[in-house]
Amino acid sequence: MSRKQSFLIVAAGLALPALFSIWAPALMNDYFVRVLTVMCINALLVISLGLANGFTGVFSLGHVGFVAVGAYVSGVLSLTDANKANYLPDLPAWIAAIHLEFLPSTLVAGVVCVVLAFLVGAPLMRLSGHFVSVATLGFLIIVNVVLVNSDTYTRGARTFTGVPLQTTLPWAMGWLLLGLVVLARIIYSPKGRAWRAVREDTIAAQAVGIAVLPTRLSAFVIGSFFAGVGGSLYGHYIGSFSPASFYFAYTFSLISMLVIGGMRSLTGAVVGVVVVSLLSELLRNLERGFDIGIVSVPPLYGSSQIVLGVIFILIMIFRPSGVMGDLELSLGRIAALIHRGGKETKT
Amino acid sequence: MSLELYITQQIINAISLGSLYALVAIGLSMIFGILRMTNFAHGDMMMVGGYTTLVLQTLGLDFGWAVIVGIALGGLAGVIVERVAYRPVRGAPEVTLLLTSLAVTYILENLGILIFTSSGRNFPLPDWMNSAFQLFDGQITFTQINLLTVGLTAVALGTLGWFVTRTDLGLGMRAAAEDMGAAHLVGLDVNRLIVAAFAIASAFAGLAGILWAAQAGVVEPTMGFTPLLKAFVGAIIGGFGSIAGALLGGYLLGALEVFIVAFLPSEVSPYRDAIVFTLLIAFLLFRPNGVLKRVQEVKL
Amino acid sequence: MKTTRKNVAGVAVMAGLAIACSSFSSRLASADDTIKIGATFSVTGAQSSIDSPSLNGAKLKAKEINDAGGVLGKKIELVIYDTKTDPTVIASTASQLINQDKVPVALGLNDSDAVLALGPIFQTGGVPFVTPGATSPKLPEQVGTQMFLACFGDNVQAAAGAEFVLNKLSGKNVYLLRDNTTEYTTLLAKYFKEAYEHAGGKIVLADDYKHGDTSFTAQITKLKAFPTKPDVLYVAAQPDDIGVVVKQMRQAGLMQPIVGGDGYDTPLLLSVGGKAANNVYFSTHAFMAEDSTPGIVKFYQAYKAAYNTPPENAFAALGYDTVGLVADAIARAGSTDSAKIRDALASTQGFKGITGSISYSEGNRVPDKTVSIIGVKDDKLFLAAEVTPTWIAKP
Repeated sequence: MSRKQSFLIVAAGLALPALFSIWAPALMNDYFVRVLTVMCINALLVISLGLANGFTGVFSLGHVGFVAVGAYVSGVLSLTDANKANYLPDLPAWIAAIHLEFLPSTLVAGVVCVVLAFLVGAPLMRLSGHFVSVATLGFLIIVNVVLVNSDTYTRGARTFTGVPLQTTLPWAMGWLLLGLVVLARIIYSPKGRAWRAVREDTIAAQAVGIAVLPTRLSAFVIGSFFAGVGGSLYGHYIGSFSPASFYFAYTFSLISMLVIGGMRSLTGAVVGVVVVSLLSELLRNLERGFDIGIVSVPPLYGSSQIVLGVIFILIMIFRPSGVMGDLELSLGRIAALIHRGGKETKT
Repeated sequence: MSLELYITQQIINAISLGSLYALVAIGLSMIFGILRMTNFAHGDMMMVGGYTTLVLQTLGLDFGWAVIVGIALGGLAGVIVERVAYRPVRGAPEVTLLLTSLAVTYILENLGILIFTSSGRNFPLPDWMNSAFQLFDGQITFTQINLLTVGLTAVALGTLGWFVTRTDLGLGMRAAAEDMGAAHLVGLDVNRLIVAAFAIASAFAGLAGILWAAQAGVVEPTMGFTPLLKAFVGAIIGGFGSIAGALLGGYLLGALEVFIVAFLPSEVSPYRDAIVFTLLIAFLLFRPNGVLKRVQEVKL
Repeated sequence: MKTTRKNVAGVAVMAGLAIACSSFSSRLASADDTIKIGATFSVTGAQSSIDSPSLNGAKLKAKEINDAGGVLGKKIELVIYDTKTDPTVIASTASQLINQDKVPVALGLNDSDAVLALGPIFQTGGVPFVTPGATSPKLPEQVGTQMFLACFGDNVQAAAGAEFVLNKLSGKNVYLLRDNTTEYTTLLAKYFKEAYEHAGGKIVLADDYKHGDTSFTAQITKLKAFPTKPDVLYVAAQPDDIGVVVKQMRQAGLMQPIVGGDGYDTPLLLSVGGKAANNVYFSTHAFMAEDSTPGIVKFYQAYKAAYNTPPENAFAALGYDTVGLVADAIARAGSTDSAKIRDALASTQGFKGITGSISYSEGNRVPDKTVSIIGVKDDKLFLAAEVTPTWIAKP
């Protein structure tokens, strides 16, 4: 396949979802648009989670800590002056004076997370296996405690509200596509192969000259940038949140999407988001009680989470590599399929 | 109040809290020692113990018996979880085990919410337990619950000590914790050992749950969550995988928590949990074998 | 198609989606001849002991109104969502109500943090929202012109509490314990301090705890170590914490009266606190008993008949009154246009509810209502006082 053809395929692969996201609100019910928007945000968070977890073998449980930082940083910067006075009356003057639009505040959130990730990752990425998981869990908890106690900046554990509702489907989809492109370029490059070497066997990787610590650290930092961006998107989508919104429940939600879809491919991450989101929505509606013919099932609040947990365990037992396994539904493969299909009809 | 009395009261508080952390930490270390697995669902065994005792008392059973059955059911719950969720994934990479335990805790907590609703339920205590010893004109309070906590913990520890030094099963567990492969080679039934470890660990957690509920006065589905994390820190500080380490670490952590709040300025106390987890990270980085060396850790 | 595992799974997913879609569409295709009123209540989660009765009261009133012919010739329909005491779900529900169900007006939630989570969404959406029991008097200012309270503000109940402590309990010095992690308790404690000190009382020691804490040994030990013994303990607490606090305080030998706000108005106070709840007093919106005011008595019996249990707390009555208030506003507006309903609400004068009379004075969206102080004696609730405070702190 010529370079021109592959370029066209990639362009189409990006343009189609982008156009769809812009036209979607006119085509479909507002409820579905909202579900899609959340899915895009979660997909961005899951692929960035998968970067460290699936591709370098460092299972970070602290990802949501960065999401929280992203949401709060961008939230504080985007509040209107009136809302700042209302909700954060004691904010230091220099912060209160800053008021950023959506894109700048998102970028600032991402950058802050990058800096934080460097500081946190430098010591933590030395650890392996579940020690790093536990340590990053500690990070999540520390972030939570700090947010809860920083009353003047975050309203503590109370509801942080008034964030302008600026996340629309085009924005969410746009950032997701950007994330996919960036991550795909990195993962399927020599650097990415180095990452996967580190995941498979740290000693062998070191033996061929791959420095493990910088490898892990770069994955961690890049992942945290998109976590911060995702946090900002989420904050501007939901408008109100509190530190508890970014704690264990959300962590488990993202992990289950990653694991069910497949930790080792980008497509897996996206598939996982779609499957788990649809399943959650479906189960949440069934939770309110429903009728099948003459049988009336009463509301069983909380059962949707149990079902999700059980599915998670079944995947761990029967298909630990997730739905997609190692398969990557890359644009190249799609193009090859189309190519082959074209050839067949000719003969 | 004089300083000595204040310190004494805080020591009482620390021992009470430390006992609970120690009970949970020992179970965590046991499971890690034998299976190399971080069991996040361990905290939910506390919930099982607490609710069982609550329900049995509501049905009319005597407190003493309710506690015994609660402990037993806690142990049983652990065995069931091991059989259903952990055995199928045994041998999988560490991360898989950890994730599976996360899923289990998620399921168990939501089951608790489904059955009992998320608000706390009153944990009834027999009348004789509701009194307290007021010493030095009320400046030191030593409740019956404190007494019960220390007493039952001592009994549990004593039983455990006898078990791991005098019984075949106990010695086998220690052997398997040292080297699972070798234990297998000399013909020990590894499955039995693992089941025994889970049973004891979860029973301890069940007991801790009952005592915790007695101290707090309520049982609620997420009650095991925070103690689990704290016990975890304690186990690592003491030396993850070592029972003695977990014991030491649990009490150290209890003392640390109480003293942070009691003696540091009040601006610092809300950050208590952050301090505890920073300590965890520090230990993981600089002294992963804990105070009492145990685990071989691969670090870069 | 072969019955491979994948295919079976795929069919199952399709079937599931089909069921889901049908349940959505049936929700969307509701009748056009009802007036929809959004109803957001946290029936599950920490707020359930307060929101559940509130929703029941609301449903009762809706039924009564419909049985009497409805409003503007149509029946009213409560579009009910469980918000699970989760700000994410609350915000998401608000969006659904405005964009999908297209309700012209909504009500619900009894906690200030919960209302803050959806307030801005209703404000931007131009749909008025009335809260039966979230008592932060700052809400109308913070959220905007679409936010209304059907209950008194925390500054009022704190002032009533302060006067009660000074006059009825002769409490000259007070220990103030506050949950500093929720909006309601933080504000309540603030207003209490201002009113109490303004009236000459002295707060000898103040301390904080976190919502959900189950151990108060640290705070209790500090209090007991303090040289001055306070006459009264004022604790600003949420409904799911108060039982535990009270129990541990009594266990530690603290027998002074414990006083607080409407967060205590929950069955959990007696069920979790047990004997420890004796000598506890709290300010709330109404006294639910069979020997209360005629309006309450009638409500009490109707509620009992409908739900097989007497109303659990004053929030049941507040839910009832709020639906009445909203229906009244719709009637006065003469239309289901959100802007007209909002204006009708804002000009409410003398609406007679069972929890008191609701009027919004010029530009104000918090009504002036009297405060009932309820006490616990011999394991039972009794009406200790009705207070209209003389000095109230500014919101």
